[in-house]
Amino acid sequence: MKKFLFIYLFLGVSFVVCQNKQLLYNWEVTPQTLMLNPGSLITNQFHIGVPLASQFHLHVGSSGVSVFDIFADDGVDINTKITNTISRLSSRDFFTINQQLDVLNFGWLSKGFEPMYFSGGIYQELDAIAYFPKDIAVLAWEGNRDYIGKAYDFNDISARADLLTVFHFGVNKQVSKKLTAGLRFKLYSSLINVSSTRNKGAFRTTLREGSANIYEHTVTDLDVEVQTSGFISLDGLEQSQVSKKLLGRALLGGNLGIGIDAGITYQLDDQLSLTASLLDLGAIFHTKDTELYKAKGDYILDGIELIFPELENGESTIPYYDNLEDDIAREIPFDTLNTGYTQLRPTKINAALHYDFGRFVGDKGGCNCKNNGAKKKRVSQAGAHYYSIFRPRGLQMAGTLYYTRRFGNTLSIKTTYTLDHYSAKNIGAGMFLNIGGVNLFLAADNLLQMSNLAKANSVSLQIGLNYILN
Amino acid sequence: MDVKITKLFFILTSMLLCVSCFDGTDFEQANDVVVTPEIELDLIYFNLDASNFYDNATNTEVLVVEDTTDLDFLGGSDINDILKGADFFFKFTNSISREFNVTFDFLSQDNVSKYIMQTNVASGSENNPVVSYFVESLDELQIKELTKAKKVLVTIAISSSSQDLTGVLTLQSKTTYYLQIEQ
Repeated sequence: MKKFLFIYLFLGVSFVVCQNKQLLYNWEVTPQTLMLNPGSLITNQFHIGVPLASQFHLHVGSSGVSVFDIFADDGVDINTKITNTISRLSSRDFFTINQQLDVLNFGWLSKGFEPMYFSGGIYQELDAIAYFPKDIAVLAWEGNRDYIGKAYDFNDISARADLLTVFHFGVNKQVSKKLTAGLRFKLYSSLINVSSTRNKGAFRTTLREGSANIYEHTVTDLDVEVQTSGFISLDGLEQSQVSKKLLGRALLGGNLGIGIDAGITYQLDDQLSLTASLLDLGAIFHTKDTELYKAKGDYILDGIELIFPELENGESTIPYYDNLEDDIAREIPFDTLNTGYTQLRPTKINAALHYDFGRFVGDKGGCNCKNNGAKKKRVSQAGAHYYSIFRPRGLQMAGTLYYTRRFGNTLSIKTTYTLDHYSAKNIGAGMFLNIGGVNLFLAADNLLQMSNLAKANSVSLQIGLNYILN
Repeated sequence: MDVKITKLFFILTSMLLCVSCFDGTDFEQANDVVVTPEIELDLIYFNLDASNFYDNATNTEVLVVEDTTDLDFLGGSDINDILKGADFFFKFTNSISREFNVTFDFLSQDNVSKYIMQTNVASGSENNPVVSYFVESLDELQIKELTKAKKVLVTIAISSSSQDLTGVLTLQSKTTYYLQIEQ
C-alpha cells in the first residue's frame, strides 16, 4: 500500500499539477479551509502540513479563448484562427494564472480559559492577470491600413503580476453556540511586481479634407504608466545570484506589506449555516528597487514638411527629422522614475449558505466536545457559494452549487457546479482521504473538459498532504 | 470498508489523471504564425510658391529647387528585416502654369543613391489647379535597397520661370508599409 501511495503521489504531483482544478471553500475536512475562511468550523486539535506539500494550487484561465481555438489540428491556417480570435475577443476578456505553494502550515487548539484554534504558516504565491489589449492587438496584427478613423484605445492595456511570499498567523474562535469567527494577519514580502492598469488615451489615423498631409496621426490625452519593483537590481546578475536575491526577498527581504483575512460561520439552525470571508484586505508598499515608466501628452503627426530654404554654400539643411523627434519628445515626454508606490492586494470575498442532512457520521455521541459543543457532522451537505475578486477592471464573480458526501471519517467527496467568466458548464469534484490522521486531498474542476483540456477555458487543481489530529 | 474506500479514491483519481490530455491539437502550428500588419503613415509634404522659382535679387530663373530630410526610421536593421514591400503614394496639386519634374532620391548617410523615384507633374492654373498622382510600389528586393537609405533628397525642376509666375505646387504623400514578422 505504501509503495502504491508513493507511486501515486509521484505521478500525481509531477503530472497532474498542470491539469486540474479545486475548490476548497467550506470543505471543512481540510486545514487549508482556514485559509479561505479564518472563521471556519474547525474540529481538529492539531494539524501540520507536510512542508512544501501541504497545498499546491495552480489555476490557469482564459475567459475568451481556449488552446483548442488556436491550435486545433483542423486544417485551418493558424493565422486565420488568430485573426478570428482577435476579432471575437473583447478588452474585457482576460488571462490569469494563480499559483500557491504552502511552504509551511500548522495549527493547534489552545485549550485555555477561552479555547481558540491558532494557525499559521508561510506560502508563496504567483498571481498574474492580463486583460486582452484588443485595440493594440488589432494594430499589431493587422496594422492601421484597414482601420482609418479608428481610435486605438490605450485603456485596453491592463495587466498586473505579483510574485510574493506571505507569512500569516490566525486565530479561530467559537464565539457562541451559533457563531464562529476568525481573523488572520498577513505580512507580505514582494519578490517581483509589475503593473500597468491605469492607462488612457488613444491613437488614431484619420483622413481629413483640408489637412496638411493625407492623414493626421493623432495621439490624444495619452497617459500610460508601467510600475515595476524588484527588476532593476536583478539586471545583469548570474542565475545563481538572482536565485539568492529572490530567496532573500522571500524571507522578508522584499518590499513589505500587510493585510488581514476575516471570516465567520453562523449556524442558523441545526442544519443550515452561513459562512463568509474577506481575504487579502491589505496592500504592499513598494519602496525599494522600483522603476516606473510614464508617458503623457498629446500630439498630431502629419509627416515632415519641407520648406525648401535657400542655402548658402556649405550651409546644412534643416534637420527636419531631428526636429520632429524633439517635438514628439517635448509633447509626449517619457519619464523613468524611481519613486515608490502602493498597491492594494486583490481582495477576495466568499459567502456561502449550506445545508447539512442525512444521518450522522464522525465523532461518537451527540456532542463534539473537542469543538466546544459543535454538532456532529452529517453525511451530506449541499450549498451555494459566491466568490468574487477585485481585479483592475472591477469585480470578477463566480457562483457555485456544491454537494459534499462523507464516507465515514476516511473519505469525503465534494462535487461542484460553477458558473464564472470562463465557463457555464464547469463541473468539479474533489476527494479527501484520511488514513490514520494523514490526509491527502485532490480536486479538479472542468471535468467535462477533462478528456481534452485543450478545449477548456481554465484548468486548475489543488493537492495537499497534511497530518491532522482530531 | 476503509481499504475499499482507499482503493476507490486512488482508482477514481487515477482515472481522472489518465483521461486528461490535450487532444486534436498541433502545437507545431506555432512555427507557422506570421504577423503581417499593413501600416499607413504620412511621409513628406510641402507648399511651394511659384516665387521660389525666380530670384528677384538677381532677376534670374531658379530652375531647380531641392531640399533634404533624414528618414532615420527607414534605415534601421529591425525594419529592414521585416519590411516586405511598400507603396509610395504622392499627390501633387499644381496651380502654377508650368510642368514640373520631381525626383525623390533616397540616399545613404554618405549621399550614395540607393533608390530613385521620378515623376512629372502636369501644369495647372490658379483657377483650375490640376491634381497629379504618382504611385510607386516596391517589392521585397527593391525595398531592401531603399531601406539602406537614411534620407531623401527632393528635387523639383521647372522648364522655365518668370517674375510674374504665380500659383502653388503642393505635395501630400504617404507610404503603406507591408511588414512580415515570423520566427
